[in-house]
Amino acid sequence: MADTIIHCTNVHKWYGHFHALRGIDMDVARGEVIVIFGPSGSGKSTFIRTINRLEEHQRGTIVVDGIELTHDVRNISAVRSEIGMVFQSFNLFPHLTVSQNITLAPIWVRKWPKEKAEEIAQQLLVRVGIPEQSDKYPGHLSGGQQQRVAIARALAMQPKIMLFDEPTSALDPEMIKEVLDVMIGLAKSGMTMLVVTHEMGFARAVADRMYFFDEGLVIESGTPNEIFEQPREDRTKLFLSQILVH
Amino acid sequence: MERPPLTAVGPLGWLRQNLFNSWLNASLTLLLALVLYGLGRGIIPWIFGEANWRVVSSNLGLLSWGRYPVEQAWRLGLALGVIVVLSVISWRASRLPAGARLRRLSLTGWLISPLVVGVLLRGLKLPTAATVVNSLGYYLYRPELLPLLEQEWRAPFAVVMLGTLVGLTWSIYADRRRRILSGLAALALLGLLLPLGLQPEELLPGLAPPRMLKLLAFLAAALLAGRSLGRSLSGAEGLRRSMLPAWLLLPPLLVLLLTGFDVGVDSVAPSEVLLLVEPTVWGGVLLTLVLATVSILASFPIGVLLALGRRSELPVVKWICVAFIELVRGVPLITILFMAQVMLPFFLPLELTLDRVVRAMAGLTLFTAAYLAEIVRGGFQAIHREQYEAARALGLNELLVTGLIILPQALRTVIPPMMGQFVSIFKDTTLVTFAGLLDLLAVAQSVIKQREFLGLVREVYLVSAVFYFVISYTMSRASRQLEKRLGVEERAT
Repeated sequence: MADTIIHCTNVHKWYGHFHALRGIDMDVARGEVIVIFGPSGSGKSTFIRTINRLEEHQRGTIVVDGIELTHDVRNISAVRSEIGMVFQSFNLFPHLTVSQNITLAPIWVRKWPKEKAEEIAQQLLVRVGIPEQSDKYPGHLSGGQQQRVAIARALAMQPKIMLFDEPTSALDPEMIKEVLDVMIGLAKSGMTMLVVTHEMGFARAVADRMYFFDEGLVIESGTPNEIFEQPREDRTKLFLSQILVH
Repeated sequence: MERPPLTAVGPLGWLRQNLFNSWLNASLTLLLALVLYGLGRGIIPWIFGEANWRVVSSNLGLLSWGRYPVEQAWRLGLALGVIVVLSVISWRASRLPAGARLRRLSLTGWLISPLVVGVLLRGLKLPTAATVVNSLGYYLYRPELLPLLEQEWRAPFAVVMLGTLVGLTWSIYADRRRRILSGLAALALLGLLLPLGLQPEELLPGLAPPRMLKLLAFLAAALLAGRSLGRSLSGAEGLRRSMLPAWLLLPPLLVLLLTGFDVGVDSVAPSEVLLLVEPTVWGGVLLTLVLATVSILASFPIGVLLALGRRSELPVVKWICVAFIELVRGVPLITILFMAQVMLPFFLPLELTLDRVVRAMAGLTLFTAAYLAEIVRGGFQAIHREQYEAARALGLNELLVTGLIILPQALRTVIPPMMGQFVSIFKDTTLVTFAGLLDLLAVAQSVIKQREFLGLVREVYLVSAVFYFVISYTMSRASRQLEKRLGVEERAT
C-alpha cells in the first residue's frame, strides 16, 4: 500500500498457555477506517491493544508510523503519544474535571502552555457536542457524555491514529447514537481509525475495510459491501446472522 | 393546604421516629436515659462543687509547656498566633477559585510555617561574618599550611590581590558580564572588609587604626594596576579563560591570608538572636503537640515513599521497603521508642548528637510511616487497572502515571484510615513518658504528687482527657471535611 501507517505481520500473543493471537497480518493506510468484529474472546480487543502496546506481542512485528514496537521504552511512549485510545468503560480520571482530563497529557507530555491546552480542550468539547460541561467531574456526566469526553481527551494529543475498543458496548441504547455521530464525524475528517465494534450501521456508513476475528485469527476481511453482501466463510455468515437479527 | 399530623413532623415526630419507634427501642431509650441521669447526678455536682480546680489553675504553666522558661513563653503564644492566622487565611482562601492569589499566599505561608514556628520554639543562633570566615578556614585548611608571610602584611596583601583581580576583570570584559562581576567584587570586598574591621586588634597587629583607610589606599592602587595590566594584555584569549579559576581561587586564598586560621576565637562565636531553649526542657501540652505534629508531617511523605517502594519493580528497593515495614510493624511502639533512644546514635556520625526529644520524634515518625505505607498500599489496590491503561495510552510515562493519576486517587480513598492512624499516633505520644520525656500525661502525674495537691487525681486526669478528646475529635472532623472537599464519594471511579 502506498502510505501505510500501521504494518503488522504474523502477530502472536499468549496469555500463559492460552494462544490469544495466532498470527495476525494487517496493513492500514493513512486515513483508513477499519472495523474489527467477531465473537467475544476472539482476540480483537487484544489485537488493537498491541498496537499501542498496552499488551505486548510475543512474536511478529508491529510497525506504527515507521517505529517498530520493541522493548525500548522511549519508542513506546513516542508511539503512544501519536495514538489516541477510547475504551469500553470510558476510563476518565474521576479526580479531575472534564477540562483537566483533556488538558493533562497535552500539558505534561506535549509541554503545551496551560492556556493553549485549555483553548484546544474547549474547541474539542464543542466538536463532541458538550461545550458547557468543562468544569464538571466525570461522575456528574451521563455515559454518553463521558465517552465523548474520552474521545476529546484522546484527540487533544492530536494523534495520527485513533483506536476504539468497543466504545458503545457499555452505553444505554439512547446514548449510543451520540457517540457514533462523533465517531462518524471523525472518520469523515480523514482520521485513521481502528474500531472494535458490533455497530454494523457504523461499519456500513464509514468503514473502508472490515476484519472478522475468531479464535485469534483473521477469518475474513474485505469492504463492508463484500462482508455484508457476499461473505465467503460460513463462520462469518453465522456470526453476522446472529448479530443482525436484532 | 392540609398540614401533616403533629406526630409526623417537628420534635414530637422526631422523637417518635428515632427513639420510640418500637417497643424494644422505647425501652432502650428509657434505660439509656436512666444511665445518663445516674452518671450526671454524680459528675456534674462534683465538677461544679467538690472538685478543687486550683490544682490545675496553679499548675497551668507546667501543664502547658513544662519547664519552658516563663519569660520566654510569649514565643509560644506568637507561634500559636502564626498558626491561627494561617488557618484563618486558608479558611478564607478555600472559598476562592483555584489559582487565586490568597490561595497561593496561604500555601506559601504553610510551607514556611514549620521553619518560623521551629525558630520561635527553639530559638536561633546566627553566625556572624567572622564565624563564617573562621569556620571556612577551619574546615578547608590545616594550620600547618600557613604561609611564611609576616602577619602584618597579610591583610594588605589580600586586598591587593582582590583589587588587582577586579581591575583585570573590569578591563577584560565588557557590557553585562562586567556589571555582574563588578557587583560580585563589591560584595566580596564588603564581606572582607567588614569582618576585618570587626576583628579584634591583636589579630591584625600591623593594622592599627585607621586601618580601613590604609586598606582602601591599597585597594585603589591595586584596582588601577589591575586595569592597566588588563589593558596592556587585552586580546589574550588565555587570560580571559583564566579569569574564572582566578575568581574561584580568590576566596580561599583570602581566608588563608586574613585569618591565619586562628579558629575558636571567643569574640567570633555565633550571636543568639532568640534565646536557645533546647527541646529537652519542653513539656506538657507543648511537647505533646510538637511530637504529634512533627511525626505526622514527617511520616506522611516517608510512608508514601515506602508504599511506592514496595510496589517497585526493582527487587532491592522493594525488599528494603518490605523489610522495613514488616520489621517496624512487628514491634510494639514502646520498643521502638526505647530503640530510638538507645540505638539511633549508633547510626549517626559522631558530631551529630540528637537530644532525647528528636530521638523520640524519629521513633514515632518511623513507626507511623510503616503503618501509613500499608494504608497507602491499600489505596493503590483500590485503583482499577483501566486507570493505568488510560493514562499510559495518553503517552504519560510511569512517573507521571503514578504522580498525576494513581497517587492522588489512592491517597483520596485512604483519608479515613490515614486520619485514624494520625489520631492514634497523637494519643500514643503519651508513651514517650517511658523514654523520660515529660509530655502532658507525665506532667499530670507529677502534678498530683505535689504535697499541697495530694489526692487531687480526678481533676488533673479529667483535664488531660478532655484535651486529648478535643484534639482527636477535631482531627476526625477535619478528616470528614477534607473528604467532602475532595468529593471522595461523588467522584468515585
